[in-house]
Amino acid sequence: MDEELKEKSYEQPVAKEQAEEEENIPGVVTTTSQEINKFLQKTKAQDFINWGRKNSLWFMAQAMGCCGVEIIVTGMSPMDTDRFGIIPRNSPRQADVMIISGYVTKKYLPALKKLYDQMPSPKWIICMGDCSISGGPFYESYSTVQNIDEIFPVDVFIPGCPPRPEALIQGFLEVQKKIEAKEDKGSGYDR
Amino acid sequence: MTGDIMDAEKIIDSLNSKFPEAISDTNTESERRISAYAAADNIVEICQYLKDELQFGHLSSETAVDLIQKNEVDIVYHIGSYDHPVVLTLKAKLPRDKPQIESVVPVYWNANWYERETYELFGVQYMNHPDLRNLVLPDELLGDWPLRKDYEGFPQNTAKNLV
Ligand code: SF4
Repeated sequence: MDEELKEKSYEQPVAKEQAEEEENIPGVVTTTSQEINKFLQKTKAQDFINWGRKNSLWFMAQAMGCCGVEIIVTGMSPMDTDRFGIIPRNSPRQADVMIISGYVTKKYLPALKKLYDQMPSPKWIICMGDCSISGGPFYESYSTVQNIDEIFPVDVFIPGCPPRPEALIQGFLEVQKKIEAKEDKGSGYDR
Repeated sequence: MTGDIMDAEKIIDSLNSKFPEAISDTNTESERRISAYAAADNIVEICQYLKDELQFGHLSSETAVDLIQKNEVDIVYHIGSYDHPVVLTLKAKLPRDKPQIESVVPVYWNANWYERETYELFGVQYMNHPDLRNLVLPDELLGDWPLRKDYEGFPQNTAKNLV
């Protein structure tokens, strides 16, 4: 069972889109959007793009465990995450950040992968709470999926049970720092 | 009998006189809690009697206990009543290698999901259940019966990030 799960893990999130076939139009030189991306990544323009990306990290409101309550608080007005450009979205299609916020069960993992696939690139993942990092209080359970970081490209881990909203915001700031430093896994840099 | 408030003794007496063969090991734990073992073959009859004649109309839960040393699985029904201040714990012993019992869904409709859950976690086969399939367990775990004492996938020790 565990081997099966790992086989389906994601190596590089953008790798799939590179498989687009080149079109052949006579007299026209075409390129794929992936090539444009790869070209831009080598230029200064990427710094500007990253500045934009890091200041609009919209996250998917997807509460999975009790940590979900803290996600909800984070999206509320007292935390005012808008000042960092962090806004909750209800649809994966509009989201940049997926927060794995709690225990992933063997039953839920396929749905989680589907949600991740539905998010447009570039996309980042934050592991929130002990459950998603190691299994937390449920680490010995028969239905908990362990070692999530082998399945998804996780950028930031936030320990805690549950982490406070401030810790989650700090996690977002760490993602921003990583994006700025071009060290994140979500943008698909060649390494 | 309808309308009378019965106490624990009367309920046990009534059960014993109606099913002298099928009811055994009755026990009055307190004024409010009584328990009894029922023969697995008569479980639907007994539940029907409890519901129709003794006003025990509320099945609060149905689950199982795996008694691995005795090599048996006990099905446990907690049945409450709106008329009598008593909760009845009805148990039925099943052999561990082939637990099979008649479904009580025709009597208590809400037993449907309880029985599906007991099926997926303990592997108890409910005969004549309207829709016996797994309730929340993923399909690939079906057949492992995770809450049985000899289940081997537990505890999982593959987490590497533990501190
Ligand atoms: S880490 Fe703690 S608070 Fe978060 S989902 Fe797990 S048990 Fe709940």
